[in-house]
Amino acid sequence: MEEKQLNEKESLELITQMIRNTQQRIERGNGIPFLIWGYTTVLVSLLVWFTLKSTQNYYWNLLWFLIPVIGFTAMTISMKKEKKGVTTYIDKVIMYVWIVIGIAAFIPAPAATIMEGFPILFIVTLLISIGTAITGLVIRFVPLIVAGFIGMFLSIFCLILGNTLDSVLVFAALFLIVQVIPGHILNWKGRNHV
Amino acid sequence: MFKQLDPLLHSELRLAIMSILLSAEEADFVYLKEQTKSTSGNLSVQIDKLSEAGYIEVERGFVGKRTRTVCKITKVGIKAFEEYVESLKEYLNL
Repeated sequence: MEEKQLNEKESLELITQMIRNTQQRIERGNGIPFLIWGYTTVLVSLLVWFTLKSTQNYYWNLLWFLIPVIGFTAMTISMKKEKKGVTTYIDKVIMYVWIVIGIAAFIPAPAATIMEGFPILFIVTLLISIGTAITGLVIRFVPLIVAGFIGMFLSIFCLILGNTLDSVLVFAALFLIVQVIPGHILNWKGRNHV
Repeated sequence: MFKQLDPLLHSELRLAIMSILLSAEEADFVYLKEQTKSTSGNLSVQIDKLSEAGYIEVERGFVGKRTRTVCKITKVGIKAFEEYVESLKEYLNL
């Protein structure tokens, strides 16, 4: 492309083409944040489950706080490593959705350490599923939409089971469905430009 | 009487840059170069022209050891772009 004068029709065509190219870029998506938070949550949940089951010591619940520590560290490294060439309004919308969901999910965490029977796993799963479904709808990516709604529906099991060891396993399984699997599909789609 | 088309926007490369930035929150130099298929030198000159006119903001920073130039459209740029499209529509009887 050079610094040449265009006629009016060519100008409109160029504007349309450039805007279309940027829009197509949006739909490629990036599954890395889903994989970081998904795998971190699954692994920490299994660690909590194992330690609680083998020691019966309630204080092992503090291990849950490894999720934000590992998650934020990995996200910071990932974002520094891979700066996107273009940031769209949709990227910003998705970022704000997850900031709100993230804050909403961490606010009740201290309550769960004080109040016995507080349905923290249900609340977190429901919120994360809502975030996944909204992301899917915004970027028009069906696996995310489906995973989000399945997660919303299945999060009820965390409520039914209460704060039991079984509930921790269900929580881990739900994160596999809601974050890990769609994250891999999104990455695969992004890599292959499908 | 037709309005005169903004000469700053009525050029292939500058119009392409502005169109990309209009549909994005921000874009870096590498992305703009890739999308416009222009040379670094030419792109750099056109970015400076748009920046001097206040149509875009340019931030130069670092990612690791590499420099990274990020461009964003300004309110002045959006207004100029809208007026340019309105003028185009008049010319084309749309």
